[in-house]
Amino acid sequence: MASVQIDLGDIQGDILRAYGNDYDNTTYAFVKIECPPEQARAWFHGVVDHVTTAETWPPGEKPLTTLNVAVTAPGLRALGVSEDVVGSFSREFRAGMSSRSELLGDVGPSDPNSWEPGLGTGDAHVLLTINAKQAADHQRALGKMKEAMDAVGGLRIVYQEDTELLPGAREHFGYSDGFAQPAIEGASDDKARGGGVPLKDGKWRALAAGEFILGYPDEDTRVDPKKRLPNAPAAPLGRSGTYMVWRKLYQDIALWRRVMRDAAKLYEGGDEHLLSAKVVGRWTNGAPLVKYPDEEPRGYDPKTAEDVNDFRYDGDVDGMRCPLGAHIRRSNPRDALAAVAGPKGVIGFDGHLSFRHRMIRRGMPYGRVLPEGVTEDDGVDRGLVFVSFQGSISRQFEGVQVQWLNAGNIFGLGHDKDFLLGDPHGTGKMTIQGKPPFFLAPQEVFVRTRGGEYLFVPGMTALAALADGTAG
Amino acid sequence: MSIQTPAPAPITATGTQPRNHDGQAIAITVFSTIKLWGRVFLPVLFFVTRRIPKLTGTLRQLSFIHFARWTVIGKLPYNGPPQKKGRFRYPHMYFESNFNGGWEEYIDAFSHILTDGMTAFWGSSYGFPKPLPTAPFKRYIQDNETEADHYYCAYPEATSTMIQRSLELDKKLVALKRDARRMDPDAFAAAYRRFLTDAQNAL
Ligand code: HEM
Repeated sequence: MASVQIDLGDIQGDILRAYGNDYDNTTYAFVKIECPPEQARAWFHGVVDHVTTAETWPPGEKPLTTLNVAVTAPGLRALGVSEDVVGSFSREFRAGMSSRSELLGDVGPSDPNSWEPGLGTGDAHVLLTINAKQAADHQRALGKMKEAMDAVGGLRIVYQEDTELLPGAREHFGYSDGFAQPAIEGASDDKARGGGVPLKDGKWRALAAGEFILGYPDEDTRVDPKKRLPNAPAAPLGRSGTYMVWRKLYQDIALWRRVMRDAAKLYEGGDEHLLSAKVVGRWTNGAPLVKYPDEEPRGYDPKTAEDVNDFRYDGDVDGMRCPLGAHIRRSNPRDALAAVAGPKGVIGFDGHLSFRHRMIRRGMPYGRVLPEGVTEDDGVDRGLVFVSFQGSISRQFEGVQVQWLNAGNIFGLGHDKDFLLGDPHGTGKMTIQGKPPFFLAPQEVFVRTRGGEYLFVPGMTALAALADGTAG
Repeated sequence: MSIQTPAPAPITATGTQPRNHDGQAIAITVFSTIKLWGRVFLPVLFFVTRRIPKLTGTLRQLSFIHFARWTVIGKLPYNGPPQKKGRFRYPHMYFESNFNGGWEEYIDAFSHILTDGMTAFWGSSYGFPKPLPTAPFKRYIQDNETEADHYYCAYPEATSTMIQRSLELDKKLVALKRDARRMDPDAFAAAYRRFLTDAQNAL
């Protein structure tokens, strides 16, 4: 398995490896196809020609802009793909994100009925993602995209989100984001420590590529004498593709600041910085609490620090360093699930209960920063465009969202939800383990879902087949 | 203090038929046909696992699993016509379990953590594909699973972990209340903090 060769030229870019932080501007444009499939495919052909792949560019030859394409289930139909072939895609993809709102916790203020127009309605067919190094290049690329659509006609942007990297690659709560990623065999083996699967005796291994890219062996294939590949859409669409989750998550920064400010008045030493870090599981500069429980290390850079992901929770079974309900501990519990401290040490299951629930994250913050110190809302729409790539939306994204973030049982936390994301019912809390513990309550809604789609990112051969009308 | 109405419990009982869950709990019922050697082997296995609880320690450590029970049955109780009287030609394994969380995650735990146990319990069933890889194992369970006619859970919003923790908490709380009567305010403050520290994972 270690010899798996990944065909980078057939996989779209920014999935296995991030394009990198030199692309400051990203636009997500959801296009609705209102013309017959043949006409739409003529346009699609032109788009496909400009798609950037996973192949690395020679030094200094990174393009000024990149383009990537994903489609929804209604999008496949609008491109003329047959019902048989659409039926070969996963059930949750075909159903669409908005139909799974109750499961995902998109209720109350996050209910799909109040989502941005064009999202969650079946109108979003094709997602074009444009990255650019500079605003001017960005505008030029957007102009070209619109020209191409107008030239064909019958194509309309139903929703567009323009995002921009915040200084220091932070998200709006102020935390460095995006550097904890799964280590993938054949692509990022060097990141296995901390990024891969925690094994016995302190060892780690990278995850099988098929967990993220279809058409490749996944973790099940690894233990299958017959070496069967994971479920995938009918050929050629199933090869080199991946499922994508796109969610616009509004963040109420003023509320977050007020809640943390007020709660810190009751917290030991009044340390708001520490209290907030406890909610995330990392300090604002990315340093993990398991390793740095007392103080934020100075000059820590998550992009270069060796220990930024190289940790487990076995030395912190009771959550004294990193709370059991911290965002990063919930979203990737590593070796922490069902582990108990016994007289002879920790009895745990290494990564056995968590390793099949990993995802590649490629989110971008949107909206202007709320100036430091401001605790009243300024009415500006800001938050995170959450993007994840995975071989199975239900096992990976939904598993994490439903079982780990929206529910606490597996961590012994009852019904408490992830405090960072919030609870629309306001009855939850977060326990900050300590001697004595501290209880963060009530739980507000810091994050609201403003829209989202389940998409499929076809490989290059598959894109060509879609454009030619030969995808079946 | 005002009394809040409890928020609806999160949806976690995923991946199964509607009649198989009640609130947070899922019931699973699986019938499989046993090969002849299982008739000899399984009673021995049941005997040994009952005598040596250590063998099922891992299963018990997974507190999201309420219980898992394997039984060999040779006939069904007679309920009157149209049911036919008599024994099965082959004995069957009747597997029942209740658990919290998703169906997929539950089977994954069986596959990845209780691998040997699963082989021991199901190895003598026809068509059993081995617990790993998980996909064929899940298909096997699905093919042999029967949807419940009715599944009832006395505390649908609570999980077994929550109930266990609540029982632990109750003991500690009763002790604190009992001792508190003899404490002055300072002693109580110290005792209360000790109680919080001690009981924090049940709060
Ligand atoms: C507005 C909403 C969110 C914010 C502000 C946020 C913020 C963060 C931050 C600051 C980190 C630590 C930096 C890093 O590890 O890269 C992180 C990690 C992570 N988040 Fe989120 N997040 C949000 C929503 C979500 C959602 C909805 C999911 C999944 C369903 C998720 C999954 C993860 C995962 C898997 C990690 C990596 C954990 C690890 O591997 O150790 N996040 N997030």
